[in-house]
Amino acid sequence: MKLLSLTLLFSLSSLTAFSQGPRPTDIAASPQAVGEPGVMWYTTWDTAKEEAKRSNRPIFFMAAAATCSGISGVF
Amino acid sequence: MFSTKEFIEASRSFVCVRLESYESPEHQELVRTFLNGRFENTAFCLLAPDGETRLTRSSRSPSMVLGATGRGPRGEKGSNEDVVREMEKVATQFKANGKREEMVLQDFHSFRQALNVASGDQRLLLFLAAEGNDLEVAKETVQPLFANEEVIGRFHFDQRDPETDAEWGKQIEGSSNASGYFLIQSDQFGQKGTVVAALPITADAAGIKAVLLKENEAFAAREERKVYSEHVSTGRREGIFFENGMPYGEDRDGDGEIDHRGGKGGKGGKGKGPRP
Repeated sequence: MKLLSLTLLFSLSSLTAFSQGPRPTDIAASPQAVGEPGVMWYTTWDTAKEEAKRSNRPIFFMAAAATCSGISGVF
Repeated sequence: MFSTKEFIEASRSFVCVRLESYESPEHQELVRTFLNGRFENTAFCLLAPDGETRLTRSSRSPSMVLGATGRGPRGEKGSNEDVVREMEKVATQFKANGKREEMVLQDFHSFRQALNVASGDQRLLLFLAAEGNDLEVAKETVQPLFANEEVIGRFHFDQRDPETDAEWGKQIEGSSNASGYFLIQSDQFGQKGTVVAALPITADAAGIKAVLLKENEAFAAREERKVYSEHVSTGRREGIFFENGMPYGEDRDGDGEIDHRGGKGGKGGKGKGPRP
């Protein structure tokens, strides 16, 4: 699984430049191999809440963009 | 960090939800509730299972809340270990209920967003196109499968929405608008895709699982990890643009308006926002 921008968020949130947003030139490929299991993300708020109530598991909430300045296919 | 083994293991004790920041007014309103009225392209918080009670403060990222940067001076490096440790502490406060195989199925608001996210994550997307009783039976087949240890977190799943996905087949090579299960590889920019396997709506869970795992292995062998900078550079050169539900950009002063900087924006937008 690849979560480039989210991985990036973590690494860059520690930098002073974080408030300006990560810069694409700072971002490398995810170290995780394609095809390996990653986070099981819900992608609608309704399904996430339904599952949380069903399972009594706490919610890890993230909002993120799968685009960079309108360029799609990347986190 | 999200791709580390430790984080992924810790994440299983949570219901992880990642909303597309620019998908809808509803998503942006939710983000604003976590950022004191501001809209920025990321937000984070841990919540109780009721979906309302906040278990942590909220900010733009887990490391800002749970990591070293959440406690120390700005700029101090947060650690994955801090985040995982805090997640584990929170998880112990809740006793999980219910059977894992009854996990609610993932869904997207639209097929085009599913393609985009599958491309971003570099996962195959299983798309279910069915109606009526066929749809219900198929969902019952797939639901436990997506909670299976060998399947969970390796794929995305979406089902055809008759309103938003009426023309989903136009984005896909090798398919029609017929019913069935379609395993799709999204293209580089997540705006088109190719069916790598199709199964009839009558397929059973074992058959679907076998195809998923086989095709995932083949996908892993041929797919290279994207390098963000190269991806964005290529996208700029090729004029790639994804029309989202909301204009790109951020409202960092919280005045309710995107802080336009000029340039190309999304629907209704004029601004070129900060890079996610």
